[in-house]
Amino acid sequence: MSSPPAPVAFAAQLALLSLISFGGIPSVLPDIHSLVVVTKGWATDREFADFYAIAQAMPGLPMILMMSLIGWKVGGLAGALASAVATCGPSSAVAFVASRLGNRFRDAPWQRIVRRGLVPVTVGIVIASGYVLARAADNGWQAAAITGAAAGLILGTRINPLWILIAAGAIGGLGLI
Amino acid sequence: MMDTLNSRADVTLGALFLEFAKIGLCGIGSMLAWAHRVIVDERHWMGEAEFAETLSLCQFLPGPENANISIYVGAKFRGPVGALVALLGLTAAPLAVGLVLGTLYLRYPHPAVIQKVLGGISAAAAGLLIATGIKMLMPHRRRAAALFFAALAFAGIIFAKLPLLTVLVGLVPLSIALAGVMSLRAE
Repeated sequence: MSSPPAPVAFAAQLALLSLISFGGIPSVLPDIHSLVVVTKGWATDREFADFYAIAQAMPGLPMILMMSLIGWKVGGLAGALASAVATCGPSSAVAFVASRLGNRFRDAPWQRIVRRGLVPVTVGIVIASGYVLARAADNGWQAAAITGAAAGLILGTRINPLWILIAAGAIGGLGLI
Repeated sequence: MMDTLNSRADVTLGALFLEFAKIGLCGIGSMLAWAHRVIVDERHWMGEAEFAETLSLCQFLPGPENANISIYVGAKFRGPVGALVALLGLTAAPLAVGLVLGTLYLRYPHPAVIQKVLGGISAAAAGLLIATGIKMLMPHRRRAAALFFAALAFAGIIFAKLPLLTVLVGLVPLSIALAGVMSLRAE
């Protein structure tokens, strides 16, 4: 055995990429694609795109599910679990250390300035992400109306968002979008 | 500003696990909206400002931002064990659901109606995420510099179609520098 079995190799690569995925796993998605599809041929382009689409539509963290689906293809249930751990394990260790360090310097004046500078950019990105999601889901004015109504209900009422999602799913299922 | 809103005794490992499992299971399309609802609105585990600051850091750090948020919240109240429990709550149940449904979806033909239901849910999920962003912006609505950088970040992603990391690396230093200058002026 000159090289490790495929599930181990995939999980090991994922663990490394997890550590450098600044800004989130999608920032290393091109590397994962080239490893899985181009270099190793563990999945086809079509499968890779399907895994991505399914992961977006399911509950939970999309990138963890996507990597687990690839891991499943590569090495069954054990491959799926190893991939899930590799995707968020190393980065979570970094986050834990960062939270400890941040706490220690919590009240330093420079930290307050850093936070004041960080937050607006973050908020712009959050709203942009919502806009991208709306555009991806868009099927005309009906979908845009649902997006607007959902945002309005969240801002203006105390309704549980689950009801909004259920109602929107029903409207979609009835073919009204 | 950084006060712990709940005493530590209130935040049990069980509560961390269950609340993060709820965030994970409900968060189709946009988990962040649910994280904000549970952590800020329902449980008061963080205030609006602390949540926004934590999210900023978690966006910057490697890994999925919601996983990083669970680490921060778990660690804040219960140390390393709390971080692990919150992360497991967030990931374990949704992963089981996702693997089962995902495998079924790939293996068997599915009626077109599923696609339509998902389309409706995505449209609403987009609305939840936009509303969450607006809520986070409200405490800063009187700071012109904050509104300016929020708009610039939005434009960078939507109109200039820049990658997330480019927007962060490009704008954050400028935004921090301006915040620094303004706080010096204020003194």
